[in-house]
Amino acid sequence: MRFLVSGGPEAIVRARAPVRVLLAFGALALAALAAQRVLQGGLSPGGVEAHYLAGGQPLPAAALWEEVHAGAFLYGFLLFVLASLLVVSPVPARTRSALLAVAFVATVADLLAPFAVIAVGGWGALRVATFVLAVGALAAHVAVAALAFGRNGGNGRG
Amino acid sequence: MVDPRLTPFRGPALAFASYLLLQAGSAAVLFAVKLGTTPGQVAEFYLGSEERFAAPRSLPGLLEVAVPHLLAVPLVLFAAAHVVGYARALGRRAFVALVALSFGSAAAGISAGFLVRFAAPELAWLKLVAFVGLEASLLTWAGLLVAIFAPIGERSRGRAPEGAGAALG
Repeated sequence: MRFLVSGGPEAIVRARAPVRVLLAFGALALAALAAQRVLQGGLSPGGVEAHYLAGGQPLPAAALWEEVHAGAFLYGFLLFVLASLLVVSPVPARTRSALLAVAFVATVADLLAPFAVIAVGGWGALRVATFVLAVGALAAHVAVAALAFGRNGGNGRG
Repeated sequence: MVDPRLTPFRGPALAFASYLLLQAGSAAVLFAVKLGTTPGQVAEFYLGSEERFAAPRSLPGLLEVAVPHLLAVPLVLFAAAHVVGYARALGRRAFVALVALSFGSAAAGISAGFLVRFAAPELAWLKLVAFVGLEASLLTWAGLLVAIFAPIGERSRGRAPEGAGAALG
């Protein structure tokens, strides 16, 4: 926080190398999450419904809340770090705000969508949409931060 | 807003506070559903029950839960405490007390499961107390983040800090 708030351009330039590595790991985490979801059939409405309503029986509430609990840490921490990095980048404030708003709404919706799938007994497409939007918005954060903290970026406020 | 330089971090901080609440809420539901709300239920969760055909928790099972929590909980608490500490929203004593409550509750909560299972089942109350302490501290950190970063009262004071136009900026 100190380097982000009052470190100045020099501190940000010094921070570029670790930030780039962090962004690489962020991208890997998102890729792994996407692969995991694909393997669970999470990219097709039928696959989502088969996961949460296997044999017509909904997953127990505890399993859904465990998913929310773990996902809230992953999404929340990643978004907090990435969005904070964008603040000290040359990205315009409106772009940052829009990216953050989309990512926040999409990630929260993705965590809560399984409850809707079970309540309605369908709507697998909702979880597919929230997941694609959530991962897409976080990936956009990573990409924009990577551009901003590239060779000539990350030296001013947007 | 304590420090106007923090204004651009309003969006990320409020999103983080929302996620803290989501984590605290989901943890409370999970605790109540899986472990129960009384020391007897908590002890039964770890020691198993013949009546309910529930097996005692195994060491690998306990570690499977403890390992991610040993990373995630201190990291989240550190991030929240770091931001609140930077903003100097609390006096030194209150800040140190809240940090101690948070990390102490986390450590006690994680170790209490092992203690109940392998050392002293009567320590189930410790698991409950530690959980309540951690939940209270998470809610307090989230509340402090909202108090620091939410634009409450700024308009009525008639001044707009730098970047205040970007509500999620």
